[in-house]
Amino acid sequence: MVASAVAARTGLRRFCLALCLALIVTPSIAAPADRPGVIANLCGDGAAFADAGRALTALAADGSAEDRTWAAPIARAVLDRKLTCDANGAVVVLQGAFLDAASRAPREPADGAHAPFLSLKNRATFETAEAALALGTATDVGRRAAALHVLEHRASALPDTFFDAAAARETDPALKQQMLVVAQIGALRSTDPAKRITALGRIAETPNRRARAEVQPLVSDLAYAKDPQFKQAVDAALAKISRGISIGDVLATLYSGLSFASILFMAAIGLAVIFGLMGVINLAQGELIMIGAYATWLVQQGLRTYAPGLLDYYLIIAIPVAFLVTASIGILLEVVLLRHLYKRPLMSLLATWAVSLFLSNLVRVVFGTQNLQFVTPYYVTGGVPVIGDFFFTWNRMFAIAFAAVTLALTWAIVRLTPLGLNIRAVTQNRTMAGCIGIPVRRVDMLAFGLGSGLAGLAGLALAPIYSVNPQMGQNFIIDSFMVVVLGGVGTIGGTVVAALGIGQINVLIEPWYGAVAAKVIVLLMIIAFLQVRPEGLFAVKGRRK
Amino acid sequence: MDTFSRRSFVKAAGVGIATPIAMPSIIRPAYAASGTVKLGCLFSSSGTMANLEGRLNHVVRMAADEINAKGGVNGKTIDVAVSDPASDWPLYAQSAKQMLDQEKVAALFGCWTSVSRKTVLPVVEQADGLLFYPLHFEGEENSKNIVYVNSPPTSSVLPAVDYLMGEDGVSAKRFFMIGSDYVWPRTINKQLKAYWKSKGIPETAWKEEYVPLGFSNFQTLVSQIRAFADQGGGKAIVVLTVVGSSIPDFLREFANQGLKATDVPVLGLDMVEADLEGLNTEPLVGHLNCWAYLQNAKGPANVAFLKKWADYVKAKNVPFKGDVAIDPMVSAYDSVHLWAMAAAKAGSFAVPEVRKAFAGLTFDCPSGYKIGMTAENNYVSRGVFIGSVNEKQGFDVLWQSKDTPKPVPFSTLG
Repeated sequence: MVASAVAARTGLRRFCLALCLALIVTPSIAAPADRPGVIANLCGDGAAFADAGRALTALAADGSAEDRTWAAPIARAVLDRKLTCDANGAVVVLQGAFLDAASRAPREPADGAHAPFLSLKNRATFETAEAALALGTATDVGRRAAALHVLEHRASALPDTFFDAAAARETDPALKQQMLVVAQIGALRSTDPAKRITALGRIAETPNRRARAEVQPLVSDLAYAKDPQFKQAVDAALAKISRGISIGDVLATLYSGLSFASILFMAAIGLAVIFGLMGVINLAQGELIMIGAYATWLVQQGLRTYAPGLLDYYLIIAIPVAFLVTASIGILLEVVLLRHLYKRPLMSLLATWAVSLFLSNLVRVVFGTQNLQFVTPYYVTGGVPVIGDFFFTWNRMFAIAFAAVTLALTWAIVRLTPLGLNIRAVTQNRTMAGCIGIPVRRVDMLAFGLGSGLAGLAGLALAPIYSVNPQMGQNFIIDSFMVVVLGGVGTIGGTVVAALGIGQINVLIEPWYGAVAAKVIVLLMIIAFLQVRPEGLFAVKGRRK
Repeated sequence: MDTFSRRSFVKAAGVGIATPIAMPSIIRPAYAASGTVKLGCLFSSSGTMANLEGRLNHVVRMAADEINAKGGVNGKTIDVAVSDPASDWPLYAQSAKQMLDQEKVAALFGCWTSVSRKTVLPVVEQADGLLFYPLHFEGEENSKNIVYVNSPPTSSVLPAVDYLMGEDGVSAKRFFMIGSDYVWPRTINKQLKAYWKSKGIPETAWKEEYVPLGFSNFQTLVSQIRAFADQGGGKAIVVLTVVGSSIPDFLREFANQGLKATDVPVLGLDMVEADLEGLNTEPLVGHLNCWAYLQNAKGPANVAFLKKWADYVKAKNVPFKGDVAIDPMVSAYDSVHLWAMAAAKAGSFAVPEVRKAFAGLTFDCPSGYKIGMTAENNYVSRGVFIGSVNEKQGFDVLWQSKDTPKPVPFSTLG
């Protein structure tokens, strides 16, 4: 027999096979695990180590509840490198206590104990084992859901009955449903046509490319040619999956476009206020974004020292700080430098460029050139799969929501407050506004502060997405000018539309011609558009200098 | 011998200069304490490359200090001149010219990106200068004026790709290449494609994408990678040749879209310990890189090097981390020592003489390998490491070569 030849190779293999056979014949009776054997393999060479991983997976599938509870922390500890091998076996660290891996009696590791090293291949084996064990033992529903998510890709590494058994144990109805869907991948290979057809229907309910890769080969299956009912089911499933994938792709493109647009908008809105109002080309805008990000980082560090409980909310707490810090730098800049250069646009351009160099080098000297490390709070971590291959990421959603709130507030300030009224008046006709008693200089100063503060908020919104370092500002300055000029100088609506347009077009072109060409094509389109409409999409009506 | 050294000691003490009784001052007493020899650095301390290149200036200084402490070279102490080409490629050529013409440097140490090396190449060739280049690169170049201290693809990238394609790796069958759009990624990918073709892998098994330098919005590309990996047809891997700040931005988006190293491993060819600063590496554990040195390399030479760097950072208040060492730092360190050994062997600082002295040089590199040069070309044979990202923002050694493979300047794969 082939089985016996394989089993002869190691005692462990034999043990696994025995388990599998036991499962097929009498699923309710499980042999007790050979605990010292598993541990010895864990501390053995590469091949034995991989065997140990598979043994743990086998325990997850058909070990007794006791064995599974024993095995779960071991798989986790191997991944976290909290299991060390010494001459007497292995020691795991559980909740800060050193325990013998096999017996769970307290014991310290011997001198020279080492953690087994995970190659990429073995890491996959242990990730599967860990998730399979967690699915059966974890008390937290979220943890079980995460484990299921890991196992979805690796259904082939587990026995066909694994997910059915897990679903039978599951108490959470939604999760149970998901498990049953995953279980269908095994049922596809069943010999019962009725089972296969139900499985096809279930699989088509979560359409994505992986599902298509499972279903597609069935077209060349014997049953496809013979059984018209089966053929119909396969075709229907494939059509449904393809539709799901298309919808997912469209949504993913729209979402990417929207999130890129939100970043462009955040970077450009401050500039739109400043450029629109005073005609000053502020080249230091990118550096103000960078300083906003650094202010956010300082808030994070402060919270870490003084209020570690609030650390997760640093992105919210930093909002006023980032705004006020950059707004005061902006006001200072206006009072000290730009006020004297209003009649000389070229001079102000050069002056702001000098300021930008000064600021980025100042930050470089004070903080160094390395990327800053940000804590990723739970609300900007990871994401959820929606439909097809569309993956909804929270950090992008944060940027989008943040941009939407900023837009609403900016609009409210410009449209509803006395300051906003003054800003609009000065934008339309500076001299006339002065004549009717509007304090033009004061409005300039406050508007510059507002524009700079908005740049600071942009820095905050970008912190969880991009690398924060002294050079980060330079990446945004050209993009934000593009948005402002295309949108029409000084209009919020124009900035929004231009950001959405540029973001979306970029994302649309990228998959077809690549990111390099996308940038070139977008720039050419803007040049062509400005030939036709030099004032941009939405021009402010009124007399301009 | 005994009287000789005592006499020279007395002589030196007499003029009030404590000349160490090192070997060169004995052989050539005429040189004793009569001035300095200049070395030039071409590493940016501003712009996109500042965080990576900036630290190499300090390493060159550290190596020079070390040699000076042992009596300098040919009786002269080394003086290091530093420039800032500001990550602006043409400026590298200008700075190199200035260093050679005005500062009269004996050798240049510099460049990170291949495009900067290509701009410096005609300058050093014209002036018959010497540039030590510390990065692993695309090969396909063999100038008598450049010393290629790090490895060409045949002794760095190809062993790593082989490992991933093999049983011990992940049996990779499909490849997604993403690179910054310039000469290094394009040439590397061209060679990789030729290599795969020679192995009978069909063209449909790979995909190639490029992004502009400094690109950060990787959403669409990571979605494409997910779709590519889910298509079936064998395990997919990513060969990443983006540079600079694009590396952490890519990794962040990659982890954020829920991809793990066990789903789709990323082989980051320009990825070093410094790129992981500021990242939460827990979801990134298992991704790979390949270099001729990793900080976790075993051996006393590495322990000594890491201690030297940590002490230097503390003593000189260097604005970089004392506990992070990357391959180009070690390569720059090796470069200075190789140059000093060649100059001492030649007994001269003239470039043709120094160049002739390269043949047969060996040096105990901190990586633990004995690196060496031959009369054949200006390449240095180095060891090969494959690293795997760990939780602590570093790389564990996943695999390393038995010895130092002979560097092959020109790819035979087309």
